[in-house]
Amino acid sequence: MPLLEAEDVHRTYRLGRTEVPVLKGASIRVNPGEWVAILGSSGSGKSTLLHLLGGLDRPDAGAVRFRGESISRFSPRRLDRYRNEHVGFVFQFYHLLPELNVLENTMIPAMVGVGRLEWMRRRGEIRERARALLDRFGLSHRVRHRPAELSGGERQRVAIARALMHRPDVLMADEPTGNLDAKTGEAILETLAEQHRAGLTIVMVTHDQWIAARADRIVHLVDGRVA
Amino acid sequence: MAVHTQLLVRRYLTTRIIPLIAVAAVALCTALVIIVVSVMSGFLENLRNSGRTLMGDVVLSRPVQGIPWYGELVRDLEALPGAQAASPLVDTYGLVRMPYPDGPSKDVVTAQVWAIDPESFSRVTDFDRTIWWKPAASREEALAMGEDDPRRSIGDGPLNDARAMRDLATGRPGALLGMHVSVANQRQRDGSYRPRVAHWWMPRHEVSVTLVPISERGTVSQSNSRTFKVVNEVMSGVFQVDRNRVFIPLKDGQELLRLDEAPVVDTEAEPDADGNYPVVGTSPARATQVLVRAKPGTTADELKEQVEKAYEQFWLRASADPARRTKPPAPESVSIMTWNERLRDLIGPVEKERQMMMILFSITGLVCAGLILAIFWAIVAEKTRDIGILRATGAGRGGVMAIFLRYGLAIGVAGALIGTGLAWVVVRNINDIHHALGERAPTWAWAGTFLLAAFAAAGAVRALVRASALGTLLWSVGALALAGVGAGLMLHQGFLMWDPAVYYFATIPSTMDWAAARVIGAGAVVCSVLGAAVPAARAADIDPVRALRYE
Ligand SMILES: Nc1ncnc2c1ncn2[C@@H]1O[C@H](COP(=O)(O)OP(=O)(O)OP(=O)(O)O)[C@@H](O)[C@H]1O
Ligand SMILES: [Mg+2]
Repeated sequence: MPLLEAEDVHRTYRLGRTEVPVLKGASIRVNPGEWVAILGSSGSGKSTLLHLLGGLDRPDAGAVRFRGESISRFSPRRLDRYRNEHVGFVFQFYHLLPELNVLENTMIPAMVGVGRLEWMRRRGEIRERARALLDRFGLSHRVRHRPAELSGGERQRVAIARALMHRPDVLMADEPTGNLDAKTGEAILETLAEQHRAGLTIVMVTHDQWIAARADRIVHLVDGRVA
Repeated sequence: MAVHTQLLVRRYLTTRIIPLIAVAAVALCTALVIIVVSVMSGFLENLRNSGRTLMGDVVLSRPVQGIPWYGELVRDLEALPGAQAASPLVDTYGLVRMPYPDGPSKDVVTAQVWAIDPESFSRVTDFDRTIWWKPAASREEALAMGEDDPRRSIGDGPLNDARAMRDLATGRPGALLGMHVSVANQRQRDGSYRPRVAHWWMPRHEVSVTLVPISERGTVSQSNSRTFKVVNEVMSGVFQVDRNRVFIPLKDGQELLRLDEAPVVDTEAEPDADGNYPVVGTSPARATQVLVRAKPGTTADELKEQVEKAYEQFWLRASADPARRTKPPAPESVSIMTWNERLRDLIGPVEKERQMMMILFSITGLVCAGLILAIFWAIVAEKTRDIGILRATGAGRGGVMAIFLRYGLAIGVAGALIGTGLAWVVVRNINDIHHALGERAPTWAWAGTFLLAAFAAAGAVRALVRASALGTLLWSVGALALAGVGAGLMLHQGFLMWDPAVYYFATIPSTMDWAAARVIGAGAVVCSVLGAAVPAARAADIDPVRALRYE
């Protein structure tokens, strides 16, 4: 059974009176431990598909299934929990919370996911995990810094640490190197590859076929459909 | 509450300036409303107290014709369980011929004349306390008085004369004038009074009082005048009373109004050799009012009920007595009111005014809520991407909304607490502040402000050199504002807002109305949370995908 699959999903955005059909029956399967790259030109709907897979958005038609269960039918609460427990997002523009320091940004999924009492009980353990992740990404000297004080590459590594914090089943990366120079981008990809080798399932969106080539499998998105 | 909510609220509050502005806005609104309401409440309270000061708790009155056998009635009333003392008086309007100006033609003023029995009147009202010209109680007090304050040099004479309502040296009847009846007294800034011209210090002079008796048929007969020595003046604190009231002894008032005891003659019978008709009895003296003071622990309303019953019994007894030719008026034609009811005309408008202030300032509260709404709207707009990020990590709508609600609550609570504290400080020191406003600003104040302005100007120059547009702007504005304040302080001649002639009382009430403060503080918190609720709900509704695309 695939870990995650989208079957014939449609998504149309409405801009006033005009309708913009973005996805017109796209299907994709992601097997456990696989690194899939979604390749397509700008505006082809790659991010939209990723958001549907990650439970940030719901399709107009078709189904998104996680371990065979249709997440499109989840209650809002359950969908929130799905994102929190099973998915880790990494975005092109890092998307860190500017008022929190590096350590706090990394711990956010744990803070969102656990109740107050559990937090009190597991605080030390959670902090340890966050520190360990940051340490692995070479950020141990940066834990008290604000995102604004970091370079782009460092910020993206914090974002990856945050995505991994809650031990997700699948990492969703939307142009993770889009905003970085080639060398830094390469380092980020190497970090992802390392996680992949350790067994992490990755869905990565890119418009660059050289970057897509790092994945196990490439899925082309053309005109709202998987070619 | 979720862990991230708490952390984010704390960070949003402490790492930005906007929430400080919001807290300041809430605090200022809260303080403003509390100060105004406290002063108004204090004012009302003073007015009520002065009502009691003037007339005791319950007033029994029968104008013009008066109540005969009032001595018996006073005894009945004093025997009531709830009554501490009762005092009869005659009240009417009359003309008072003042001793000024020099020359044969003198000023004549109309006045409300109260003919009182000073001894019992002092037990019912705070009359004794309102006598103004008293010798200084101690040497220090005398030294604290102004050089031309007449109280410095007077002995006990005017006070003892006032208590007896007689010029004890000559035995002539004495009158007490309200402080503002004569034009001679001039109020000083410290609340003391001095004659405009030392010569016209009233207790040296005499006034002539003219009263008009009214017959049983309601017609006016020949007016009567009598000259009184001004033995003292009284200051009740209620301006309208101090402006219009003149006190004379009860006996003199009764005589001038022909309400004193008089023989009753039979005009049907044959006159005797001298042409006098035979005397068949006496008509008793009358009083137009009896004032009653309640015992501590008895309310004015309870006492009023007792007085009503007592009057009815007095009337039944006197009417049934065949020996009395003159009967007291029936209970229906006697009005019995508490001081509160008597002062309705005075208290009513002030109560209205206070309500209006409350309404006006509720609008201020709404403006404050609107301000918070605007501030939060801006904060949410700025935080849209954060909301998308939180949603992507699994935070629900409720959690996002909770962040901004908590944020509003924190600002509301901080603002309400600071505002209440500020109001407390201002209300407690309001008379000093008012006094300071009335003085010229001290040199150090404006010199210091100019010095700060110079610093700010230096800051502006430095910012200009460093090519910081914002810095230059802020420092320049600061320098100009400080220079303006300094100039204002330098030129400030002092002004007083609280005119005792308008507001009845010499000092601004300075007790904090805690009951109102609690309500207002709670209102500020509610307004803040409401102001935050709309943007918070909007934040919760933001589509996470759009929020993440938000630049
Ligand atoms: N919330 C929205 N409202 C309206 N139109 C939208 C919205 N989100 C996306 N679109 C439109 O849908 C189309 C696909 O968007 P999407 O972000 O999925 O493309 P993409 O393949 O990720 O492109 P890029 O490589 O530039 O990121 C675009 O034309 C975009 O304008
Ligand atoms: Mg995209």
